[in-house]
Amino acid sequence: MSAPTPPTDATRAAPAAAAAATVAPAKIVLDRIVQEFPRPEGGVNRIIDELSLEFTAPSINMLLGPSGCGKSTLLYMMGGVRPQNTVMPTSGTIMIDGAPCDDAHDDSVMVFQRYANRPDLSVYDNVGFPFRLKLWRDRIPKGERHDKIMHMLDAVGLAEKAKLRPSQLSGGQNQRIALARALVLKPRILLMDEPFGALDAQTREGMQRLLVELHREHPCLIVFVTHDVTEALLLGDRVVVLSTQPARVADDFEIRTPKPRDGGWLRMPEAVALEQRILSRLHQTSGRGNVRVTV
Amino acid sequence: MSQSWNPYAVLPGGQRRRLGLGGVAFVLVLWWALSASGWISPNKLPSPVAVLKAFGYLAWHDGKSMLLDATLWSAARVAMAGVLVVAVGVPLGILMGASARLNALLSPLIDPFRSAPVVALLPILVMWLGIGEVMKVTFLFLGAVVYLVPMVRDAIQAVPQSHWIGARDLGATPWECIRHAVVPIAMPRIADGIIVSVSVMWTYITVAEYVNAEIGLGQLIQNARRFSAMDQVFAGIAVIIALALITYQAMRAFKRRMYPWETQA
Repeated sequence: MSAPTPPTDATRAAPAAAAAATVAPAKIVLDRIVQEFPRPEGGVNRIIDELSLEFTAPSINMLLGPSGCGKSTLLYMMGGVRPQNTVMPTSGTIMIDGAPCDDAHDDSVMVFQRYANRPDLSVYDNVGFPFRLKLWRDRIPKGERHDKIMHMLDAVGLAEKAKLRPSQLSGGQNQRIALARALVLKPRILLMDEPFGALDAQTREGMQRLLVELHREHPCLIVFVTHDVTEALLLGDRVVVLSTQPARVADDFEIRTPKPRDGGWLRMPEAVALEQRILSRLHQTSGRGNVRVTV
Repeated sequence: MSQSWNPYAVLPGGQRRRLGLGGVAFVLVLWWALSASGWISPNKLPSPVAVLKAFGYLAWHDGKSMLLDATLWSAARVAMAGVLVVAVGVPLGILMGASARLNALLSPLIDPFRSAPVVALLPILVMWLGIGEVMKVTFLFLGAVVYLVPMVRDAIQAVPQSHWIGARDLGATPWECIRHAVVPIAMPRIADGIIVSVSVMWTYITVAEYVNAEIGLGQLIQNARRFSAMDQVFAGIAVIIALALITYQAMRAFKRRMYPWETQA
């Protein structure tokens, strides 16, 4: 509790309009996180080993690692949701703004690779879905909800599709719904779990550009999990490279090149050097699993 | 021939109907030929014409329609039991699907009856509830609810966990997750379960009306059998099949209207 904590309760109580204008800075501290899962044949698999990290707003932090290295597990811990019936983490602590994070909390919103849109609701109602929950009904007055939804639909370019259902939209547009639903709450922390991983290359590029724009408008703390080296370079203010089995921090650096970064920048010596650096780090740790490079 | 052996082929509507009617027509012709050949006594296999005549007799005779009365009574019993089955089965199934504990507690009491003979319970029901309407509706209810509850539960459990996690992350309470993220997505499959249970009730109606029904389609068939009026037995069976089919198709159409998004996936 000793960390310089912004007054969370004040942010919660603050009217939405104020929250939209300025985002209270957020800080996530992971301290010596260990995660073990029982093996079916007995014993345990240590997938995360004594991992310590700190993230502060406003920035896009890329958690880059091979598939299956435990980076999504880390993200779920930060989100406070537990998909498995196991204890997460096995040991270590996660603090958000100085408060321990051990259950679902409302500082952060997650965006998943497999979009969880309600197929029976319109695009508009999907973006407004949080307002069906008591938590957000209590916090955001009825009169403000429509404007907030419309603003987000505009921001993600779905205003004209507001009345359609998710199944009438493409995969990329479905992820736009998910982004809009997350950002309509103006969260201080956005946790993204390979959100563009299932999209084709062209759509992915569009979504990456969109995310940079949205982050400029709403500069929250983003932790973005990916196994795509190119994506990490394009989006990251900071890139944390994780080794696999168990996950440890293999590399951690900042990229100061202004965004949006495009394909041209990826071919510049700076980007090529960073890419080589990441790939060689991953080779050194010689884990299993794959990363993707799409240049 | 490649089109004949392709599980994903979709037939044009006209062709599908022609083939379906062809199958029915074939059986009718075979039936007519067998009864006309004289190999089988009309007491065992009445001719289609005799059945049609019996139908006419049942539909209108002596200034009243036995068939209409019987149909209304049977339909009312099915409807009554149907309302109860949905009112009990859907909430119970949702609760069992939502709670592993409740499921562990109740499924051994419910699941076995899907394969156990519910019909065998009839004598017990008669002893407990008498031979009146309560017994009949209870029997239909029990016969169908043991199908519906597990189907509703399975529908709930089939909803991908991502929906639950997504809502949980947004700050939904567990109950809000179930109400806003899980149940709406399970609704089409729950509707399928309701359709199947109502169909099951039509198959049980003859059994339910076996005991002391003063009126009803099952009673009509039972009565006709007692007087060896095979043509009337056949007519009664045909009416039940037709009613079950109409109910099924109507409910299917209603379901497609309620959940148009299901087929768009």
